[in-house]
Amino acid sequence: MLGAALVLFLVAFAWLAPLLSSHDPMISDFTNGVRPDTGTPVGPSSAFWFGADRIFRDEFVRLAFGARLSLLIGVSATAIASALGAAVGIVAGYNEGRSGFVIPWPLPIALAGGLALAVGGHSTLAIVGSLFGIVISVVAIKSQIRFLTAGVDMNFDIALMRLVDIGLSFPFLLLVMAVGSAVDRTSVGSILLVLGLTGWLGTARLVRAKTMQIRSRDFILAARGLGAGTTRILFRHILPNIAGPLIVVSTVSVAQMILAESVLSYLGVGISPPTPTWGHMLFEGQDYYAAAPWLVIAPGVAILIAVFGFNLLGEGLRDALDPRE
Amino acid sequence: MKYFLGRFAWAMFVVWSVVSITFFVESVLPSDPARMVAGAQARPADVDRIRTQLGLDRPVWTRYAIFMRRLVHLAPRANANEDPKTHAGCVSLGVLHFDLGRSYEQRRPVATILGERLPRTVALALCAVFVQLTIGLFSGVIAALRKGRALDTTVVAASLLGVSAPTFVLGLILQFVFGHKLRWLPLDGFGSTFAEHAKSVVLPALTLGIFGAAYYTRLIRDEMIVLMQEDYVRTARAKGAGTFRIVLVHALRNALMPLATVVALDLGALVGGAIVTESLFRWPGLGALSVTALVDRDGPVVMGTVIVTSCAIVLANLIADAAYFTLDPRIRKT
Amino acid sequence: MRSTHASKLTGAALLVLLSGTGCSDPLADPLPHGNASEAAPVRGGTLRLGNFGDIRTLDPAASSDQLGDEAVQLLFSGLVDFDAKGAVFTDLAEKIDRSEDGLAYTFTLRTGVRFHDGDELTADDVKRSVERSLHPDSPNPVGSFFENIAGVIEYTQRKSEHISGVTVDGRYVVTFHLLRSDATFLPLLALHALRPVCKSGGDRYSDSWAPCGTGPFKLLPGGWDRGRSLTLVRHDAYFKPDMPRLDAVTFLYNVNIVTERFKFESGEIDAIRDLTQADTVRFLADPRWKALGAYEPAREIHGESMNTEMAPFDNVEVRRAVAAAIDRDHLRLLRAANVIVSAHPVPPDVPGFNANVPTQTYDYQAALEHMKRAGYPYDPKTGEGGYPHRISYTAYKQGFSEFAAQAVQQDLAKIGIRIDIKIVSFATYLSTTHRRHVSAISPQGWSQDYPDASDFYESLFLSRSINEEDTGNTSFYKNPELDDLLDKAHHELDPQKRQASYDHAEAILRDDAPWAFTHSYRWFDVHQPYVHGLAPHATWVWDIQNTWLDRATAAISRRSVISEVSFGSLFTTREKSDR
Repeated sequence: MLGAALVLFLVAFAWLAPLLSSHDPMISDFTNGVRPDTGTPVGPSSAFWFGADRIFRDEFVRLAFGARLSLLIGVSATAIASALGAAVGIVAGYNEGRSGFVIPWPLPIALAGGLALAVGGHSTLAIVGSLFGIVISVVAIKSQIRFLTAGVDMNFDIALMRLVDIGLSFPFLLLVMAVGSAVDRTSVGSILLVLGLTGWLGTARLVRAKTMQIRSRDFILAARGLGAGTTRILFRHILPNIAGPLIVVSTVSVAQMILAESVLSYLGVGISPPTPTWGHMLFEGQDYYAAAPWLVIAPGVAILIAVFGFNLLGEGLRDALDPRE
Repeated sequence: MKYFLGRFAWAMFVVWSVVSITFFVESVLPSDPARMVAGAQARPADVDRIRTQLGLDRPVWTRYAIFMRRLVHLAPRANANEDPKTHAGCVSLGVLHFDLGRSYEQRRPVATILGERLPRTVALALCAVFVQLTIGLFSGVIAALRKGRALDTTVVAASLLGVSAPTFVLGLILQFVFGHKLRWLPLDGFGSTFAEHAKSVVLPALTLGIFGAAYYTRLIRDEMIVLMQEDYVRTARAKGAGTFRIVLVHALRNALMPLATVVALDLGALVGGAIVTESLFRWPGLGALSVTALVDRDGPVVMGTVIVTSCAIVLANLIADAAYFTLDPRIRKT
Repeated sequence: MRSTHASKLTGAALLVLLSGTGCSDPLADPLPHGNASEAAPVRGGTLRLGNFGDIRTLDPAASSDQLGDEAVQLLFSGLVDFDAKGAVFTDLAEKIDRSEDGLAYTFTLRTGVRFHDGDELTADDVKRSVERSLHPDSPNPVGSFFENIAGVIEYTQRKSEHISGVTVDGRYVVTFHLLRSDATFLPLLALHALRPVCKSGGDRYSDSWAPCGTGPFKLLPGGWDRGRSLTLVRHDAYFKPDMPRLDAVTFLYNVNIVTERFKFESGEIDAIRDLTQADTVRFLADPRWKALGAYEPAREIHGESMNTEMAPFDNVEVRRAVAAAIDRDHLRLLRAANVIVSAHPVPPDVPGFNANVPTQTYDYQAALEHMKRAGYPYDPKTGEGGYPHRISYTAYKQGFSEFAAQAVQQDLAKIGIRIDIKIVSFATYLSTTHRRHVSAISPQGWSQDYPDASDFYESLFLSRSINEEDTGNTSFYKNPELDDLLDKAHHELDPQKRQASYDHAEAILRDDAPWAFTHSYRWFDVHQPYVHGLAPHATWVWDIQNTWLDRATAAISRRSVISEVSFGSLFTTREKSDR
């Protein structure tokens, strides 16, 4: 309950707070926002409730506007990441060890050889070799020659987990920079995409591990014995059992997404100024923490409240979902 | 055995995919490595000359072919009449040579650069994971045993504080308190003797550790709470086993499996990912290197760090898989 | 209920931590110094300096950044060099004879100058080093600066084996022949790029060569720990008697700026230049420290470059409107301790600057008037009118550029020019804003390559500096009258006539407004009281050659136990240098 209240409070703050103040979040006040003696931003006062920021704008109003975007990004990116991660993790974990589609061994060998030849500068040989491999593989599948059809057993688990492996070993920064430069203008949408599409990998592995642990439990075996279909087992039996850890990961993830957004803007691929987000505000204030601590404290505490709120909310949700209660 | 051979083949495939994708993604970024070498104010003629010297005027496919051919090649034959410089930057493994090329910016073999940095990064990663595990296990177990009481709340709250303080804030605070005010530990750097290395690693490891421990605490606490309600734990309890024994033998053993996944992931990620912390504390590791290389568009170094980190992650995964087999008997299938 | 308590607890903890680190952190006292007088400098000691940035090379034929050049010029002396004020003086050369027509410079070398390896410097070494540096296989980023030396173009096109315009006329006499008379020749020669290197450097650039020159300091094996520190030690056979006074200089690289200040206060480094604005203000306001600080010369200009080939900035009235709309004082307030308002094309501390030439100024009404004349009238009351399309504005990620962009955006909105800021990495910023037909308006800056006005005018506004990629002239501004003026000034050897040409050129640029010139940036440096003679240098960062230390004999700080001069690694302990 308290979690829901905190989250509601933040939402209300985001939309109502700007009504309380006459400041515009994008407009600097070079007269009243500047301390005349040092030229640094003014501290909290009756005119600027949370002080002024580095460009002499009202920190309070910016915090409220930042809340809208940060909450949106944190929650949506987490939702994308958790949904994807859970789906992939459950499917992979459930299929682990089952046999799927067998790729005959001549195919990868021929393709790898072809690539090596192409790199070595023998492109004709490379094409001929790869084609040959493909032909043999097709023949092998059609004719069911045992010697040739032995090979890589490709099931959902292997396919998905290799994808996860590639994703996890891929340099996050490079990916982000590539996406950032591909979509010319960084928008909320592209940020969501980047965070969501990179955030699910770890979740997927965790969920897979949990699923593998659960699927051999008695109640799953019993359900299957009673004739429950795969979909039903996945949704009715496995999902509720992994919901706990999933929610824990997700709630923590909201905060990390909010912070990840600040790292993105640090790298030059975040949401472009002057639009405020908490993470970006925290970053802007960072090397000013001695002269204007409110620039770090305000967004810092805001993030903290959000983390607590979502965490408590998550705990409540988990209790509600826990099949054992 | 066959299983692990298969896994190894897959691992090679994963590394190759990552390397290839990185190569092409890196080459389509809208910025010019030659320009970064020449400097922001260099004139077009000088930038052009440097571009040609670096071989960047060639089409991307040609560069990829050259890169792959050089990456793994055979050692020169004894009687071959080759320039000895050709293999100067190679790492050799029997007859196989691995050549990662030369850094554009530093103008020396990437293998040398990585060779300097990798041990230091691994050292930091191990220390950080050690801190994470220690804090995480300790506080997680305590919180679980005291579920719903003040101690639990405090631990959970503290862990949330850790996770919501980004490393750049946490690191600054630790540095300020222990390095600047109290002067117990060096502000940054690496030192030159073992004692100095040990002192220098404390703050960066703590920064990474506290940040990461939050996650471990939560994970272990929640695993433990679930496991403590399991039938076999209840049975053991009913039989009069002590809390300590139950925690250690039954519950923790089961919590170790998801933990192993996370530790493996973390170790792999820390090898390339401790960017902010390494920069703040001037720890001469791969994280700081990979960002500078990316920012300066130093292609060979980017590729080198990607190869090392992807190998590290893949290796960590293999180890985690092996851990499954030993830790959880139920996973073992015929 | 529990959770409320917990959140209060942590919230309070965070506040305490943050405020604890923030507010109650007064600057430390300056460290004690000895009793030496300025007249009798003390020999010995190691000067330690911190840097936010890093260096990439120590080879004069490859260096291209301020920090690297600073180390290079300590290792390699040149025929001529810059003094702290930016004037050229003879260094390795004893005297210079310029021919009547200004086309030949004959340098007579000092005798008995020794390289770090003990060899004597001769005219052959000078010629060899020039050819080594300008060879087409060398990665010299400033090679094209020297195309006015006869034979260099043929040499870089591989049409000749040697540079015909550099002749050895005796064991200690070398002559440079120019194609046209050139006021910038001596300043260019005073740069690091052509400085003599040891015979071990050979006649071609090589990556693996260990730097060796005639400079006051030398590099010992292991002295450069890449990415972390560089230690240069005294060259005992340096040709100036009793110089340098320091035993060694240590540069730390990649130091976080906040950490750098901590290190400075504890005496781990002796001087600091990468101060945050907040710290600069504190040092300036502190009577204990103020006298120990000094501003570096302002060597860079900044402004908004408007692409004269793209709408709406192909219209000179729009450009004038922008130039009048930007309130430069707002930009100054963003970093009051470092930014100075200056709308001249040449920074205040570079030769060729003339404060008496009127500049573009902030005048809101005039800006609205210009917009009206351009056909885009804007009504500030209703916010209607102005230029109808939004304009993309690419700035790069790095504190000030990002903040300035937001101030400029607000100012331009007030005259009906609406820009969308796009923050990208520096590499992307460079390649997009320096490509033709891509960026309509972008923030640009230029910092001196060599201390002379020609560097700024010619790099940024000559029509010859236009290029499809990597253009220097980011406004793509073409004006034959300006080209003529700038060429005339370049080849004019009489300082007064030269200045008149530049003043005229400045007036043209002010009115045609390819740039809205806005400000200049200068760093504030502070040093400990025991450091003498470490003044900011006009070209190199510090004037280290004349620096000496007078530490109090007592132990300075507990911190110095951990030496940063470390060449070891975690698993292998290499031999320490013999310092």
